[in-house]
Amino acid sequence: MPRRWGVLVVEDDSRARAFFEASVQRSPRLFWLGSAGTVLEALAWLARTTTIPDVLLVDLGMPDGTGLDVIRDAVARFPGCEPLVVSVFGDEENVLASIEAGAVGYIHKDAAPEDIAQTIVEMKAGASPISPMIARRVLAKYRSLQSANVLGIGIGTGTAVPGATPEAAFDENERGLLSAREHEVLTLIARGFSYAEIARLKGLSVHTVQTHIKNLYGKLAVHSKSEAVFEATRLGLLPHPG
Amino acid sequence: MLRRLVSLLSLWLAVLLGGVAGTAAAAATTAESPIELRQGTVTTTVAGVTRTGPVELSYHWDRQHRGQPGFASFDLPFNLPATPETPWGIFIPRVGNAVEVQLNGALLQVYGDLDRGNGADYAKAPIYVPVPGRLLKTGENHLQIRLRADSARRAGLSRVTVGPAAPVRTELFESAYAWRFTGSVLLTAFSLVVGGIALALWLTQVDNGAVGRHRRDGIYFWAALAEFCWAVRVADGVIAEPPLPWVAWGVLMAACYAGWAASAMMFCYHLSGWARNPRLQWARWPVAAVVAGTVVATALALQREQPQWLTGWLAIEIVIVLAFVGSFAVATVRNPTTERMLVAIAALATVAFGVRDWLVIRLSDAYGETTWVRYSSVFFGVALLLIVLRRFHAVSTQARGWVAALAEQVAQRERELAQTYAELEQVARDQARTHERERILRDMHDGVGSHISSAIRQLQSGQTSSEELLRTLRDSLDQLKLSIDSIHLPPGDVGALLAALRYRLEPRLATAGIEFEWAVDEVAPVKLLDAQAMRQLQFLLFEAISNVLQHAQASVLRIEADMLGDMVRLRVIDNGRGFDASQVPRALSERAGAVGARLAVESRPGRTVVQLGFG
Repeated sequence: MPRRWGVLVVEDDSRARAFFEASVQRSPRLFWLGSAGTVLEALAWLARTTTIPDVLLVDLGMPDGTGLDVIRDAVARFPGCEPLVVSVFGDEENVLASIEAGAVGYIHKDAAPEDIAQTIVEMKAGASPISPMIARRVLAKYRSLQSANVLGIGIGTGTAVPGATPEAAFDENERGLLSAREHEVLTLIARGFSYAEIARLKGLSVHTVQTHIKNLYGKLAVHSKSEAVFEATRLGLLPHPG
Repeated sequence: MLRRLVSLLSLWLAVLLGGVAGTAAAAATTAESPIELRQGTVTTTVAGVTRTGPVELSYHWDRQHRGQPGFASFDLPFNLPATPETPWGIFIPRVGNAVEVQLNGALLQVYGDLDRGNGADYAKAPIYVPVPGRLLKTGENHLQIRLRADSARRAGLSRVTVGPAAPVRTELFESAYAWRFTGSVLLTAFSLVVGGIALALWLTQVDNGAVGRHRRDGIYFWAALAEFCWAVRVADGVIAEPPLPWVAWGVLMAACYAGWAASAMMFCYHLSGWARNPRLQWARWPVAAVVAGTVVATALALQREQPQWLTGWLAIEIVIVLAFVGSFAVATVRNPTTERMLVAIAALATVAFGVRDWLVIRLSDAYGETTWVRYSSVFFGVALLLIVLRRFHAVSTQARGWVAALAEQVAQRERELAQTYAELEQVARDQARTHERERILRDMHDGVGSHISSAIRQLQSGQTSSEELLRTLRDSLDQLKLSIDSIHLPPGDVGALLAALRYRLEPRLATAGIEFEWAVDEVAPVKLLDAQAMRQLQFLLFEAISNVLQHAQASVLRIEADMLGDMVRLRVIDNGRGFDASQVPRALSERAGAVGARLAVESRPGRTVVQLGFG
């Protein structure tokens, strides 16, 4: 019997809460931990819980704040907890902000009940959904970051010339952001290819492709933290390291 | 400012007078061992008549002989208790015009030619004659001075000092020489510098008046002329042998003196503003008369060897100048400015000095005195320099004011520009917002709005299945998602548009059991697709895929994108039952026209191709 995952839902719409609860209860792989209707409630729940939530479903637009705060708090308390953002549109701004706060994926509010449970289980098994639009945004962001790095450090021949070989442009040792393979996968996703098609094109397993994406999520979150530290240091809010 | 200038001038005067007093005091204290010779015998020859008699020095020839030329031989005895051990010398503050100095019958020095009248003039500078050793003896010694006197040339003999070289030469002679000779050189240099500056100002400071006439400032011209006249006049003090015969030279020097006085008056005339007053134009005539009268009187005095002509004329001249300066002073008091006050003070001091000089030099028997006017003329130079400095200061202040005003105007203009720019920007923003609003409205109308209204119609008809209704609502939500995606689509990026479309629609196709084939190459951006056209293209493709979903009963949907030369080609291909290709749905052809794409549809059972070509 595979392990069952405990799910906490943070959602202000009671009908949506009921829908998620029904989806979770119906799945043999998941069990219902509870739900919160406000950010305060959620934070209080996280503070006093004895059961570590495996999965957190968070709606971003809460009446008393943003779900991003809940995601940050949960990730900080329970490193094993994997937050998923509930999004109506899966639009780029919200999804990227959630990923940078520590979310590992998102689900669409209009998905079928069984799809929701399946997405959660797949996510726990290593899958991570990412839309072509978000992939494009991430690529664009790292292109600009990379050119800034090249300018700042003044080393490396890798410039962000489109069409340059990914290996040259994205040397992980040099930048520590995206590996060449991750960059390749991301590029194909941005062009609309499915994970299966990418696996076939690149001679990888679908699982490997998913792992790349999941790693990417982690890097985005970590990077957003180091970016914050860098910004804070620059603004004089934190002492300079060393 | 004025007070400071006045104190500066008075300080200068005090130093000057203090220096004169100091010299006199030095002569008194060191007169112990040197011997001052005051008495002796003189033999004069005037117009063939020779006389001999005792004499008390100083001997002012012109006073004694009413300006007639002649010869004189002075015998000045003095006693020495012992033969001096140290070198001795003879100091004569003034003697002229041509001189021979003998001691105990030995000729020591000759200055000028005693036989030629009206030639060299050695009365201008003090004389020092060293005494050769052993010439002096114990007991009585005789100093003999023979001289030739010209008329009106300050001929004569002052008191003579004989004594050890140390005090006589180093103290008496050298300080007297400094005052008479070096002083003249410095005054000449000063006058030339000030005159040069004034001339340069007169030449360069041209006021382009409103009348279009170039106007130079008269005060600079007259200041320059005054200073140059004065430079020549003062330079005479160091010229022992003038280049012209005495009469001509004497007239020239007097003319320079008068020219200086007249120019200084014209300077006042311009400074006081009289030059601009037509009723005061006559004031120039007495000024001209000063010059003319001086030339005539000097020529008469020198030609006829009757100095009283000049003395008399100078009295008249002093009256004229006094009247002029007095008027100027009154005008200045009535309408004072710093410039006029300065010049009025200088003019009054100069007139006072001039009166003193006239009394002392022309009337009294004092011999050996020098004029004071030569020093007071410096006041004019200083006053002129201060005037120029003040004017320059005023002009530069004004210029700074203008620069500040200009800068303020530029800043004002910049502010206006910035405001105009901000307004334009605001208009542009408003326009962009309006466009965006229109776009969103059209989007809602064509997309979500039409789907929701058809859902309502379906419900109202009561004949629809919940499946159909669900599909309509899903279409509506999908349209909404596509609409949101389109906000971020880079204009012209067909690849991004297709990828987003697939992401949004694939779950629907999967649910319908339609397999998706993805054959999208990387394609060049299509320039003619702006944000609006991108959205139209989304609608078009959504429509095409929707048709496949609803009507085609296909099992495979294939999306292709590739480049044919410069052309970007998009194809939606399904293996459904097909339709009449001549009856292309109107929505498709209209939207294709709107985005500037060539639409081609071919359909047969098992293969329907909707093709769009760009470029």
